[in-house]
Amino acid sequence: MSDTAILADGLGKRYKLGAQTAGYRTFRESVTDALAAPVRQLRRVFGARSAVPEKGDFWALRDLSFELKRGDVLGVIGRNGAGKSTLLKILARITMASTGYAEIRGRVGSLLEVGTGFHPELSGRENIFLNGAILGMGQGEILRKMDEIVAFAEIEKFLDTAVKHYSSGMYLRLAFAVAAHLEPEVLLMDEVLAVGDASFQKKCLGKMGEVASEGRTVLFVSHNMSAIRELCTTGIWVDNGRVAATGDVDTVVHNYLKTMTAGAFEFTNHDLGFTIQTVKLRNGLEEETCMFQPGDDLIVDIHYHATRDVESPYLMLIVEGIAGKCF
Amino acid sequence: MPEIATATSSPITAKALKITRIEPETRWAGFGLKEFWDYRELVYFFIWRDVKVRYKQTALGIAWAVLQPVLTMLIFSLFFGRLGKMPSDGIPYPVFAFTALVPWTFFGSGVTMSSSSLVTSANMIKKVYFPRLAIPIASICAGLVDLAVAFLVLLGLMGLYHLAPTARVLWLLPFIALALVTAIGVGLWLSALNVQYRDIRYVVPFLVQMWMFATPIAYSSSLVPAAWRPLYALNPLVGAVEGFRWALLGTNTAPGLMALASSFGAAVLLITGAAYFRRMERTFADVV
Repeated sequence: MSDTAILADGLGKRYKLGAQTAGYRTFRESVTDALAAPVRQLRRVFGARSAVPEKGDFWALRDLSFELKRGDVLGVIGRNGAGKSTLLKILARITMASTGYAEIRGRVGSLLEVGTGFHPELSGRENIFLNGAILGMGQGEILRKMDEIVAFAEIEKFLDTAVKHYSSGMYLRLAFAVAAHLEPEVLLMDEVLAVGDASFQKKCLGKMGEVASEGRTVLFVSHNMSAIRELCTTGIWVDNGRVAATGDVDTVVHNYLKTMTAGAFEFTNHDLGFTIQTVKLRNGLEEETCMFQPGDDLIVDIHYHATRDVESPYLMLIVEGIAGKCF
Repeated sequence: MPEIATATSSPITAKALKITRIEPETRWAGFGLKEFWDYRELVYFFIWRDVKVRYKQTALGIAWAVLQPVLTMLIFSLFFGRLGKMPSDGIPYPVFAFTALVPWTFFGSGVTMSSSSLVTSANMIKKVYFPRLAIPIASICAGLVDLAVAFLVLLGLMGLYHLAPTARVLWLLPFIALALVTAIGVGLWLSALNVQYRDIRYVVPFLVQMWMFATPIAYSSSLVPAAWRPLYALNPLVGAVEGFRWALLGTNTAPGLMALASSFGAAVLLITGAAYFRRMERTFADVV
C-alpha cells in the first residue's frame, strides 16, 4: 500500500442539467424565482402539473477507480468530452467530486495550461515569480531555478521587458519553462507540451521525458498518441465518464485506436470546383484502419468530386510527426 | 457536496508524505486557516502583483491614491463646509473631512476591487488550485499602499493648518485593522455573491455610496443623538472614522463604546463573510 501514489475509488462528477448548466445566474432571477415560488406551489396544490420536466443530471465522470504506483507514468486517453479533463480537475482539487474518494500521496503539482496567471504588464522575471508561486513553488525555490528557467526559455535579453511586448513564441516558451521546472512528487498534466516552434517543441518533449523518468508519478492527459506512448508506462482509456480499458500503455492505445474509424478524418474544402468527399486509410490487408506499425503498407483512398474539368491534378501528401518533423 | 482535507503525516509511511484526500463533502470543513497560512507566499505575490500593476498601468500612477480623496475633500469642503456650514467639532473642515476620507477610500475601493476579483481571476480558478480566499483578501490588502500614501498627504494637510499629531497617533493601527477587517468581511460576501449572481456588480457602487452616507465623513457623529450612537456604530466604519479623528485630531468624541460596537459589527461581517465564501467556494470552478 505504501508505494501507492494515487488511489481513486468510485470517483464521480455530476453536473445538473437545465438552468444551472448556464453557470452563473443573476441575483434578480433568484429573487423573482423566490417570489414566484408560492404561485408555483399553489398551482401544484390545485393540480396544474408543471409543464417543465425535470432536466435530470449529467455524469461527466461515473464510478471511476484506478491505482497508480509511485513512479508510474499514466496516460489518460479518450474522445473529447469523455471525462479526461474532469478527472484531472478533480484530482487537482479545482472542482469537487460528487461521489467517491481519492487519495494522493506526495506534493501535488498540476499543469492544466501553461502561463496561468501571467500578467501582460509585468516583466518576464516578475511573471516567473508570480506563475511559480501560483503553481506552488516557494520564493527560494524559484530563485534557485531562475537561471535555469531563463536559459530554457531563451529569453535572457528580454527578462526585464513586460511580457505584453513578447512574441507569442517567446511568451509560450517562458510559460512552458516555468511549468517544466515544477518539481512535485505527483504531477497532473493536461496537454501542455508541444508549444512554440518545431525545435522548441522537441525541447519540450525531451524535458517532459526527463521529468517522467525521474521517478515522479505522472498523470498525463493527451490526444497525442505518439506522445502518450513515448512518455507513459501505463494507460487508461476513459469513455463516457467510465473506464473502458486500463493496463499496459501500448495495448490500451492500440484498443482505443481500433475503435476510431477512418471516417473520423477532418478536412476543409475550399470552393475551387474540386471537393474531397472521403479520405480512407487501408493497410496491406485491405483493412480500413488508422493504425500502422513500422513496415506496414499504407494505402490512401481519396474520393473527390470535380464540378469542372480538372487538368492534371496535383496531389500532395504530407505526413507530420508530433514535434513537427516530416517523415 | 464534496470536501477536501489535507493531512501532513501518515502512520503507515515511514517518510512523511503529504496526503491529499478528495471526497464528497458531508460536513462543515472549517475556515481553512491552516491551508491559507501554508499559501501565505502566494497571498504576498498577489498583493505585490496588484500594487505593481496598478502603478504601472495607469498614467497617473501613484497620484490615483491621492487624487480621489483630495477631490472629494475639496467638494465636501465647498458644499458641506463652506456653503452648508456643517459643524466639524471645531476642526477646520478640510482636515475634518480628509481625516475621514483616508480610511473611507481604503474601504470603498477595497470593497469595489475585491467584489470583482474572483470573476477577473476566473481563468486561474479554473486551471489551478489554491485557497480561493487569497484572491479577494490580496486585492484588499493591496489598497494598504494607497492608504499609506493618502496618510502622508493628510499629515501635509494638517501641517498647513498647524495641527500636529500626538502620541495618540499609535491608536491608528487598531482603527486601520478595523477598516481592514470590515473590508475583508464585505469583500468576501460580495466576491462570492458576484460569482453566483453576475448582476451584483451593479449593486456594488450603489452599496458603497449608501454606506458612505451612513458613515460620518461629511458630518460628525455628534449629530447623531447620544442614545442612538451605539446602534449607529454597528456600522464598523463609524468606529474607524471617528477613531481616526480622535487619534489624529483629538476630537472629543471618545471612541470607547462606539469602537466596541464597531468591532462587533466588523467581526460579524468577517465571520459570516468567510463562512459564506467557504460554502460557495466548492462550486466556483464550475460556475465562474
